[in-house]
Amino acid sequence: MPSPPVIYGLFVDPESAERGMNALHRAEISPKKIVVMSAEPFDDYSFSKMDHETPMPWIAAAGGLVGGMCGFLLARLTQVAYPIVTGGMPIFAAWPSGIVTYELTMLGAVLTTVVTLLITTKLPNWKPKLYDPEVSNGRILIGVLDPTDASRAEIENRLRGAGAVKIKATSVHR
Amino acid sequence: MATKSAEQITVDLLRPLSGLSGRYLLAATFFGGVVVAALCAFFYQVYAGLGVSGLRTPVFWGFYITNFVFWIGLSHAGTLISAILRLANATWRRPVTRCAEVITVFALSIGATFPIIHLGRPWLAFWLFPYPSERGLWPNIRSPLLWDFFAINTYLMSSVTFLLLPMVPDFALVRDRSEGLKKRIYGVVALGWTGTPKQWHRLETAMHIMAIAVIPVAVSVHSIVSWDFAMAPVPMWHSTIFAPYFVAGAIFSGIAALILAMALLRKFLHLEEYLLPIHFENLGKLLLVMSLLWFYFVFAERLTSWYGNESSEMAVFWTTQHGSYSPLFWTMVACNFLIPFPILAIKKLRTITGTAIASFTVVIGMWLERFLIIVPSLSHKYLTYSWGTYRPTWVEITITAGTFCAMVLLYMIFSKIVPIISIWELKAGQHVKTHAVRLVVRSSESGAD
Amino acid sequence: MAHQWGMAIDLDRCTGCEACVVACHAENNISTVGEQQAAHSRAKHWIRVERYYEGEFPDVTVKFRPVFCQQCDAAPCEPVCPTYASYHTSEGLNGQVYNRCIGTRYCANACPYVVRYFNFFNPVWEKPLNLQLNPDVSVREVGVMEKCTFCVQRIKAGEIAAEAEKRNLKDGEIQPACVQSCPTRAMVFGDLSDPESEVSRLAHSGRATKLLEEVGTRPKVTYLPRDSWHGNEIG
Repeated sequence: MPSPPVIYGLFVDPESAERGMNALHRAEISPKKIVVMSAEPFDDYSFSKMDHETPMPWIAAAGGLVGGMCGFLLARLTQVAYPIVTGGMPIFAAWPSGIVTYELTMLGAVLTTVVTLLITTKLPNWKPKLYDPEVSNGRILIGVLDPTDASRAEIENRLRGAGAVKIKATSVHR
Repeated sequence: MATKSAEQITVDLLRPLSGLSGRYLLAATFFGGVVVAALCAFFYQVYAGLGVSGLRTPVFWGFYITNFVFWIGLSHAGTLISAILRLANATWRRPVTRCAEVITVFALSIGATFPIIHLGRPWLAFWLFPYPSERGLWPNIRSPLLWDFFAINTYLMSSVTFLLLPMVPDFALVRDRSEGLKKRIYGVVALGWTGTPKQWHRLETAMHIMAIAVIPVAVSVHSIVSWDFAMAPVPMWHSTIFAPYFVAGAIFSGIAALILAMALLRKFLHLEEYLLPIHFENLGKLLLVMSLLWFYFVFAERLTSWYGNESSEMAVFWTTQHGSYSPLFWTMVACNFLIPFPILAIKKLRTITGTAIASFTVVIGMWLERFLIIVPSLSHKYLTYSWGTYRPTWVEITITAGTFCAMVLLYMIFSKIVPIISIWELKAGQHVKTHAVRLVVRSSESGAD
Repeated sequence: MAHQWGMAIDLDRCTGCEACVVACHAENNISTVGEQQAAHSRAKHWIRVERYYEGEFPDVTVKFRPVFCQQCDAAPCEPVCPTYASYHTSEGLNGQVYNRCIGTRYCANACPYVVRYFNFFNPVWEKPLNLQLNPDVSVREVGVMEKCTFCVQRIKAGEIAAEAEKRNLKDGEIQPACVQSCPTRAMVFGDLSDPESEVSRLAHSGRATKLLEEVGTRPKVTYLPRDSWHGNEIG
C-alpha cells in the first residue's frame, strides 16, 4: 500500500503565501490537513494563525505554585527535622524560608514552561513527517496532507495561481 | 538599517561559523593558556591550603568574593536587555539579545565557580545541596549562602533555557546548510524543528513567559548576593541600601560588558551592518542612566554614614576617602562616573568607540567597587587592635586573570558554533517593519480615496 | 536548670602577661604558625591580649584586655554558617563542629570580636612538640574554622565526673586553661544560671561591662575595667 502523499507549494514572500492559503480555504480543504512551515514567525499574517489559544501562562503559574510549595516544604521540614539553635533565631525562620520558597517558585514556573513547550510542540522529533530544507532558504511552505486523488490537480493549480515558485508532491516520513 | 534580504542576513550571520583563522587560533591559545594556568593555581591551592592566597585575619574574603560578586553582577546584562526590552517591544533589541544572553550564561557560570574556589574544604561543597545525609543534617536555610545557592541555580537554569530555546530555529538553519557530521550534530540540537505556526507560537509564548519570570529572578539574585554582606554586623556592611545598590550596580556593569562585547564582535566578526551606531547610542544612554544611578546610591550611602558619624563606620569611611584605600576609591569614582559621564552625555562623543571606552572604564570601576565594599570594611572592624590589611598573591591574581580569559574564550568558541545574532528574530523584525510600512501606505492610500 | 557558662575578667588585675595565651595553645592543640605566617596575621591565638596605649611618652598608660570567644547568646556567627558548624548549645556555648565546617569563613567575617581563626595550612608540630598534644581535643585540618570553646572538654569532663559521683558541680570546680593559668586570678569562670556563683556576682557588680554591647550580640563575658574605660576607642 503506497504511503499517502502530500502536495505543497513553496512561496517566496508572505503575501503570496497568504494568497495560497486563501486559495486552499476557498477550495474547502479541511484546515486539519493544511500544513505550513516557515523559517521565521509571520505572526501578522493569517496563514500563521493556526494555533489555538494556549494555556501555557496558566500552566507556568501552576508550575510556580508547585515549585513554591516544594520550597516551603523543603524549608519547613528540614529546619524542624534536626532543630538547631543559631543566633537566637527561631527553629523555623520565616524570612529566610520565604526567600527559598520564592526562588523555587520561579524555578518551577520556568521549568514548567520549558517542559510544556517541548511536550505541546512534540519536540524533540528528529524524524518529522514532512520537511523541506528549502524552508531554511526563506521559502514558505503551504501544503495539503493526504489530498484526495480528485483534488490533487486543483490544489496544484490554486497554489501555482497564488504564486508558488515550486510545487512538490512527495510521500511523508513514517 | 537598510532592509536586507533574508538570504543576505543568513549568509552574513552564518559566515563566522565557518573557518578558523590563524589569528583566532592564536588568540584562543593565549586565552586558553591563561585559563590552564588559573586551573593549576587552583589545584595548587587545594593541595597546599588557602594559605597560598593573601587572605588573613581579619580579611577572610578578598579577591575570590570580589570576583564572585563581579561576575554575578555582570550577568545582569542579558536579563535587562533581553527580557525588559522584549517586554517593552523595543525593536532595536533584536540583534543584541543573543549577545547579551550569552554574557549572562557565561558570567553566571564563571561567578558560580567562586563559592567553590574560595572554600577551605572545596571537596565538601556538595553539603550546600539539600539531600538526606546519613548524619540527618540539612543545610542551614538561615544562611545567606544557602539563599545564594538557590538563587544562583534558579537564575542559571532560567538563563540557560532563555538562551537555548530561541537558538533551536537557528540550529535548524545551520543544519539545513551543512553536510555530514556537522549536519548530524546540529540536527540533534535542532530537535527536529520544522517551523510550523504552532511551534513558532508556542516558542514565542514560552519566551514571553520566561522574560516575565527572569526579571524578578535577576533582581532577587543580586539582592541575595548583597545580603551575604548586609546580614553581618560589619561596619559599612550592615546597611539596608545594599540590595538596591547591588542590583543597580549589576545592571550597570552588565550593560557595560554588553557594549564592550558588541564592539568587539562588530570588529572581529564584521557585523558592521547589523550592530549599528544606533544600538550603541541607545545602550550608551542606558549606561549613562545607570552611571547616574550608581553615583546616587554611593552618594546616599556615604552621606548617611558621614552624617551619622558612628566611630567604627567612620574608620572605614575615612580609609577609603583619605587613607590607604583612597587611590583605589578615587580611581573607581573616575572609572564609574567622571570618565563615562561626559562621554555618554555628549551626543558627539556617544559613538561606538566612545561608548566602548566608557564601558571599559566602567568594568574596571565596578570590579574595584566590589573590592572596596569587601576589603576595607573587613580590615577595619570594631576592635582597633584587630585591624588588618590584605594583599593578593599570585594565586588569586592568576585565578582572576583566568576568569576574564575564560569569559573571552567561551565567547569566542560560542560565536564559532552558534550565530551570535539571532537570525530568525532579525528576519522577523525586518518583515514586521515592512509589513507595518505597507499597512501605513495602504491606509493612507485608502484614506486618500 | 541547665548550666549557662560565662566568664568575668577583672581588667584591674590583668597584667598582660599572656600566660593565658600560652596555656590555651597547650590545652587546645593550637599550632604555632611560624614567624612569617604570624607576620601575615595568620596566628591562631584563641585568646589574645589586646594592648592599647594612651598618652604620649613618658606619660603612657597601657591597658590590656584579653579577648576570646564571647559565646554570644545572639551570636552573628551562628545563623550564617551554611552547614550548622557554628551553633548554640543548650548550655549557652557557641559550639564549633569541625567536621561540619567547609571553610566559607562567613562566621569569621560576621564575628565583631574577630575571635574566629582559620586553618590556612595544615597545622604542624615539630618533633617532639607532637608528644605534648592533648588527647581530649581534636586536631583541626586545613580549611576549618576554630575558636575558643571555654575548654568544653574540661566542662564535659567536670560534668561527667560530678554525675558519676552523683553530686552537683561546685562553683570554680571547672576551670578553662586560661583561668587556671592566670597568675593574678583576673579571670573567673562559672555558671551564670547559679546566682550564688562568683561569675554571677561579678556580672551584676557595679563595674560590670560587656564588650561591644551596642552591637547586640549579648556576650557572656563580663569585663570589669579599672575605671569607666571601654577600651575600643576608634578615631
